[in-house]
Amino acid sequence: MTIKVDKVLDAKGLACPMPIVKTKRAMDELTSGQVVEVQSTDKGSLADMQGWTKNTGHQYLGTITEGDVLKHYIRKANPNELKEEMTYLHTVSNEELLQMVESSAEITIVDVREPAEYSFNHIPHAVSIPFGELENRMNKLNTEQHIHVICHTGHRSDMACQMLADKGFKNVTNVIEGMSVWTGPTDNN
Amino acid sequence: MSTKVAIIASNGGLFDAYKVFNIATASAATDAEVGIFFTFEGLNLIHKQAHQQLPLPEGKEHFAEGFKNANVPAIPELVSMAQELGVKIIACQMTMDVMNLTKEDFIDGIEVGGAVTFLDFAKDANINLSF
Repeated sequence: MTIKVDKVLDAKGLACPMPIVKTKRAMDELTSGQVVEVQSTDKGSLADMQGWTKNTGHQYLGTITEGDVLKHYIRKANPNELKEEMTYLHTVSNEELLQMVESSAEITIVDVREPAEYSFNHIPHAVSIPFGELENRMNKLNTEQHIHVICHTGHRSDMACQMLADKGFKNVTNVIEGMSVWTGPTDNN
Repeated sequence: MSTKVAIIASNGGLFDAYKVFNIATASAATDAEVGIFFTFEGLNLIHKQAHQQLPLPEGKEHFAEGFKNANVPAIPELVSMAQELGVKIIACQMTMDVMNLTKEDFIDGIEVGGAVTFLDFAKDANINLSF
């Protein structure tokens, strides 16, 4: 699968702790929400990247192995993401959305996370429109449709719902828990 | 709460240097606050000349090739990386006096202090290591 990233870091051939040190430096140059691909041949980097993101608060998206090369995908966290209040009022929980998905109700799910996040796991048939592209691509959506918007934790989708409502979409719902705790079926590609 | 790592380095071989500086740089790159207290033979690891050619343990000289093949960074490189990442380096004054060394014998950017200097740093550390 091809994954869209904002920066590629070549740490191939480097031994521990260099992949981590270089990842930290690369992350310092990114802005919140951007995704880095770290290429490493150090097998220990798989566990290290997961431990590193857990401790630094960044979001580990996943790893793809190509031959000897491990490609790790990490999204730079926004320190405000967990703190900011959500203001959009029409919401559903993951469980309510799961019931709709399982009952095969005709619903549209718009996933506003970065393409790399979407690539590793998303709800089957969810449409990928990253938040940054929503304004330009919302004309692909029907303003009369019932749209469920989802992201990682409910923060970006909250902003997306407000934007859609402001632009005349009549029936938009925010999935407040998001993919970080989604237990239903997923696809990747 | 952020992590604080306090390390005592009291041995002066190449293996010891890697144990100390790998953990230190990895911790600092993971947003931890890191301080290392160098004492007795550990002072070799920050001595201007000595840290550039640290000895392998006796009988383990053949590992020199392994270090090269694994593309492990040289110790001076790791030391400057540690300093760039904000690792605090404290040299033990008492050992320096015993060995007749001055601050000028060591790499730049270090602090010199006694046992309490380290204790003061380590008292609220979450991780304490001794090498």
